Formats: sequence, C-alpha cells, structure tokens
Amino acid sequence: MVANPGTEPSLSDDALELFVEGADWEAVVDAVEDETISINMGPQHPSTHGVLRLVLELDGETVTKLTPIIGYLHTGIEKNAEVRTWVQGTTFFTRMDYLAPLFNETAYCLGVEKLLDVEVPERAQAVRVILMEFNRIASHLVWLATGGMELGSTTMMVFGFREREHILDLFESQSGLRMNHAYIRPGGLAQDVTDDFVERCEALLELLPRKLAEYEDLLKRNPIWNDRLRDVGHLDADTALAHGVTGPLLRAAGVPWDLRKAEPYSGYEQYEFDVPTETAADCYARFLLRIEEIRQSMRIIRQAIDALPGGPVMVADKHIAWPSQQALGVDGIGNDPEYIRHIMGESMEALINHFKLTTQGFTVPAGQVYVPVESPRGELGYAITSTGTNKPYRVHVREPSFVNLQAADTMSRGHMVSDVVVVVASLDPVMGGVDR
Amino acid sequence: MTSYLDPSPTSGLTGPPLSLDELAARVTERFPEVTTDLAFGELTVHAAPEQLVELLAFCRDDEELSCALLSDLSGVHWPAGDHVIERQASTTGWPEYRVSREDGVIEVIYVVRSVQRNHRFRISVAASDEDPRLPSVTEVYPTANYHEREVYDFFGVVFDGHPDLTRILMPDDWLGHPHRKDYPIGGIDIPYKNDKFIPPPQERDLREVID
Repeated sequence: MVANPGTEPSLSDDALELFVEGADWEAVVDAVEDETISINMGPQHPSTHGVLRLVLELDGETVTKLTPIIGYLHTGIEKNAEVRTWVQGTTFFTRMDYLAPLFNETAYCLGVEKLLDVEVPERAQAVRVILMEFNRIASHLVWLATGGMELGSTTMMVFGFREREHILDLFESQSGLRMNHAYIRPGGLAQDVTDDFVERCEALLELLPRKLAEYEDLLKRNPIWNDRLRDVGHLDADTALAHGVTGPLLRAAGVPWDLRKAEPYSGYEQYEFDVPTETAADCYARFLLRIEEIRQSMRIIRQAIDALPGGPVMVADKHIAWPSQQALGVDGIGNDPEYIRHIMGESMEALINHFKLTTQGFTVPAGQVYVPVESPRGELGYAITSTGTNKPYRVHVREPSFVNLQAADTMSRGHMVSDVVVVVASLDPVMGGVDR
Repeated sequence: MTSYLDPSPTSGLTGPPLSLDELAARVTERFPEVTTDLAFGELTVHAAPEQLVELLAFCRDDEELSCALLSDLSGVHWPAGDHVIERQASTTGWPEYRVSREDGVIEVIYVVRSVQRNHRFRISVAASDEDPRLPSVTEVYPTANYHEREVYDFFGVVFDGHPDLTRILMPDDWLGHPHRKDYPIGGIDIPYKNDKFIPPPQERDLREVID
C-alpha cells in the first residue's frame, strides 16, 4: 500500500510511520488513524527570516504544536570575544543582530563603560541616539518589507528596502559600512561625524514621513493585509511576560514598557517622545505599533539633531581612547600626519602608549554588569564579566529574538499553517541574533 | 524623572521602584541565609541552589518585588585555581583581580525584573563544575526554557525538572561544552582533514580529541 518498499520503516507498536513517495494519496490517508502530521518548515524557507526551522504538528490544516529548532547560524561570537581585546569585541557583537548592529555596539560599549566608570562625551551620546533611532527605523522597515513579501505584497518589499537603503547610505557615510559598522567604541565613537551629517539626517527626516504615509495608504485598508493580520497570533501581556517577550510585542499587548523610559541611557531622558501601545495584541496591532514607533523615532532624531552638542566624541583618557584623530575622506579613513609626527619624532612615551593600545588594548576593572537597551525587538542585554584583564572573561547576550521565539508556539496553536508565516513575521526574529 | 515613571493606570506601573537597599532588605527578610552585594550600581543576591526555586517564586509573587519578568539567565565558569588566565601588565593602574578557588564552579546568574514597578536585580547561584546540577526554574518562569537549554549546551549544567533539556545552539552530536574554560580552543584536530571520505558523526573519533 504505502510507499518505501525498499527499506523497512521502523514501526513501533503505538506509532505508524508512513513514507509518501508518490503513491496513491487516498490509500495513505485511509491508513492514518491519528491524523496528526508533523511537517518541517525550513530551515531554508523564504518566510523563516534566515535559517529558522519550525517543526509543525498539524491536525488537518490546524497547528497543534510548533517547535522552533535553532542553531543553524551559531558562530560562537560570545566565545570568540573571550580571546579578543575589549575594543575588538565591538567588531564581533555588531554582527549578531545584523538588522540592529548599532544597538549591539551601544549595549556592549555601555557595559564596558560602566565597568570602566567613564562618562562618554555628550556629542558621542547624541550621535549614538540619532544613529540608533535611524537603525530602529531601518529595522522596522525591513520587518515591514519582509512581512509584506511573505503575505504576497512584493510592492511593500520593494518600498521597505528602498527607504532602508537611504538610511544605510547615511550609516555608510559615517562609518564606512552599510551594516556591521563597529562605529560605536568603548568610550565614544570611532570618529566624528562628517560635516554634512545633520544635512543628511534632515533629508531623511523630510523623506521618511512621506513614505510612511504611502505605506499606510497601501496597507491599512488593504483587505488582504487586514484579513491575514487581524486576530492572528494573539499574545496577551501576562503570557508575553511569562515567556520573557519584550519590545513591540509586549507594547502591542498594552504594556507601555520601554527601557528608553524605564532605564534611560545615552541621554534618552532629554528627549520627549511617547511610548505607543496597542490593546488588540494581535499581528495587526504590532503592525500599527511599529509604524507609530517609526514616527516616535523620527521625533527623537529631530530633537537630537536640533540640539546636537559640539565637542569631542571620545573620552579624553588616552589609555582608552584611540589617540589619533584620523581624517575621514571620500576614500575612507586616512592618516593623522600630526599624530604620526608626534609619536615617531617627539615622544617615546606616546609611541609606547600607541603600541600597547594597539597590540594589547586597555584593561577593564573586574566585576559583573548587566546592561540592557531597548532594541527594535525588545530588551537587548549584555551581561559582561571582567577579571581585570584586557579581554572579557565572559560576555553573555540576552538576545530579544532568541527569547521572543519561545512564544511562537503559544501564538500559532489553533491557527492555520499559513498563519504561522504571519506569526513568525510579527515576532520579527533575526537569526543572526537568535543563534549568535 | 518623567511622568511615565509615576505609578498610574496608564503607565502600567503599580508602585514606585524599590531602591537597591530596599530590594536587598526585602529578600533577606524572607531568606535570611542569602548574602547580597552591591557593585556598579547593581544588586546581586547570592543564594544556595536548594532555595533557588522558592526564591524566584517569591520574587515573582511578592507584592513589593513583583518581578514578573526573568530578563536574563546566563552562566560563567570559574575553574579551580587562579582564574585570571591571561594576565597582562595593567596599563591603567587598576588593581589586578586574582581570586583563587579551591573548587571550580559554574555560576548561573538570573536577572529578575519588575515591569510593574521598574526595578531589577540579579540572583547568583553556583554549581560545582565537576557534576553541575541545578533545579530548573521553568515552572516559575517559562522563559527560562531556552536560557537553561543554552546554559546546558555551553556549560553542561543539568537543570533538574526541565521539560526538554537538549542542546540548543550547538549541533546535537557535539561533544563537550564549549563555554567552559577547560574546553580546548584553537587546537582541535579535524579528523577528516585530507581524507577523501568524511565519516558520519558517530564514527568520528572526536571523543579522543576533546578528552
């Protein structure tokens, strides 16, 4: 009757295993008593945001259980950081959640700065805020774009990636890289922003609201978008907290929890902005919420560039800060002739300091800290342990994507297979962050 | 502070946050055996593994603490002996940190947070690194599920009572627990190097390399 004549399927007493190889489907279905079917979705599936594998147990079309299987993208970043200096760590952590690299950099640097007990110059803090908020917008745009694509709206995909590219152009102009910038360093920034930084920000702030209205026109009253998102993937506040879910999902369940307000860092207390919430707690509420978050981010950026302070972008302590002020030109980072003359011709001590800083880095006082920031996906925390050496003893990252993924099971049960796509999209997991 | 942090029905906060001293007092009042320490503006409560589940349940249910969210759970391996493995001359004049331990431990740190009152603190428990075992807290905080699997994967800590304690990030057939400090790094031979045939995992002689 059923396929697989060549090999012997292992049949236990209580479980019947069936192998389908193009046999008559009716015969297969007739032989099944328990109609639960397990199917694999991913790891190579266009709607799984990378390499997420979902094992679905189905009763007909209805999901009875969802088990995420992760680890396909594990790169051992936390372990790698233990054999690198504190500054080199930035280069690694920025590659975790590749849609929110600046949040990873900032959270890590805030942790190192807390251990070092240094105060970052105001200008560096303001630039961090501006870039982080642009990064939040870019991340939400990718969410909107990929989410739209998964529901068949390729227009939204093109729109979202188009505007995100403008934001990445800004990042590239400041750090030299579209993604994985390693621009934010312990103590401040790698280098000062360019002269046209404010101008570029203004141009984006002028462009984005128009585009945002376009997205809303496209999606808000779109019947397919509404049907697919409304009343799907419900996650109330208590369940969210029990599963450790933070960020837009928790706010879409009505809890105004935002670490930028609750534990302000990098000067967020100076800026006026709202924490939007929704009460429906479904995928549509998360869509509305993320759109509103983009608006609030623009509000913060507007205030930050209007009041952008001058001054240095790195702490003055030459034991921590990179001592030279390298020029930033159209072809990348150049030299600092004045500084080279100083270390090569004038001061032996400066040369020694330069040599020690570049080869072994600075040491960080011993201790343990936990520093969270509000990333586009929720609470991104860095638990850093130092033993007083020039390398971290242990860095653990509380990745919001990793934690939030646990709620996927609760959110998908009872829905159709096609709704799983929507649920996973509304979680917005980034596998680089999940697997680290 | 902004009006957001005032307890009100719209802010979601039910009361003012407790200061670190108040938090420490509240926990030690109920659990006199625990010790607390305050560093870098963060409170750490050192507890014994036996009272862990009860302590976390207290943090979650107590009205003053009301820590509904387990923010983070992570491990640190402190092997026996001097755990400053690579010592460098200090360039900044900070004192060197050098603690010798007779027994190696794996420290597991829980960060509990109150979303209702906006405070957080850390709970630290230690398990021997020879045969690390700790009670699972998934009954109290379901979010601990993935975290405990991660700590098991990286450090080999067995969480008793965990519903599904399997490797989560490393491959299923991986040998050893890579975040332990006694795990060899950078020196693992690849058994099938230059071989024409790559043996299936169960036939690879990795055990010898790790041990």
